[in-house]
Amino acid sequence: MIIDDSRAMRSILRRILAGLDFETSEAIHGQDALDQLRSGPVPDLCLVDWNMPVMDGYTFITTVRANPEWRDVTLMMVTTESEQRQIVRALAAGAHEYVIKPFTPDAIVEKLEILGLLTAGSTATYGALT
Amino acid sequence: MNVLSFFDPSAADVEAPDLDDVRSVTEDMWMALLGEGEALVTRPVPAGSPFDAAGAWSAAVTVTGGWQGVVTLELDEAIAREVTARMLAIPSVHDVHDGDVADAVGELVNMVGGSIKSLMPGPSTLSLPSVAAGRAAFASDVREVCRVDVAWHDGPVRVCVHVPGA
Repeated sequence: MIIDDSRAMRSILRRILAGLDFETSEAIHGQDALDQLRSGPVPDLCLVDWNMPVMDGYTFITTVRANPEWRDVTLMMVTTESEQRQIVRALAAGAHEYVIKPFTPDAIVEKLEILGLLTAGSTATYGALT
Repeated sequence: MNVLSFFDPSAADVEAPDLDDVRSVTEDMWMALLGEGEALVTRPVPAGSPFDAAGAWSAAVTVTGGWQGVVTLELDEAIAREVTARMLAIPSVHDVHDGDVADAVGELVNMVGGSIKSLMPGPSTLSLPSVAAGRAAFASDVREVCRVDVAWHDGPVRVCVHVPGA
């Protein structure tokens, strides 16, 4: 699930993940994502922006981590928040990985490999962007 | 679009980011989104010159906390639509709507602003972006401390950093 209030960023991430044979869904903020998790199906992976209206990504992560039913969901922050303090906060709250915008497709691939969601050597593109 | 009205006047830290860092942040964002072959080129513009695009889009994010400032992005209209089409994978710029441009330009300034925030003293908070069709208006009690003028496909792009203090 791609969780970002920017349609452009959701589009970019969707194309990268589609190129890696992931099926994707999208949410426009943390509350929307929580509503979708509650109604199912529960995704294997959430890519989470930090700064969003209604519910930010940090609150989303803490809420997901507080629910044992969602313990298998892998959480990866994809955000412009690049202060060390923010990265530490997100990881302490339960994020598994952290990607700073702007990113290259290879950066997403690398993180997914680290998370064990891709085998090494995968490649990705932005599709129409490149 | 007045984006500066909620600054804390008691916090007087007006440190400015380094010009080369802001230029690097802008160029890195552009290349990450559009690819190595789509680099921005430097555009010599005399100090104080207005943004000279006939049509423009403007966006701003505000940073509050350990450092206070506003990061603005101005784009030529045609450039804004072309970048939007690429970000959203819309085949023709003729199919790009204003809402698409607002979304994409907002994300651009979000990325530039977030990167500049990380260069400055913290902790700080980044606002959600404000986007306007046309040139942005700013309060009179702020001053521009850093400006990067570049071009892409012959269209002007400008990134500015403003801090409190007339």
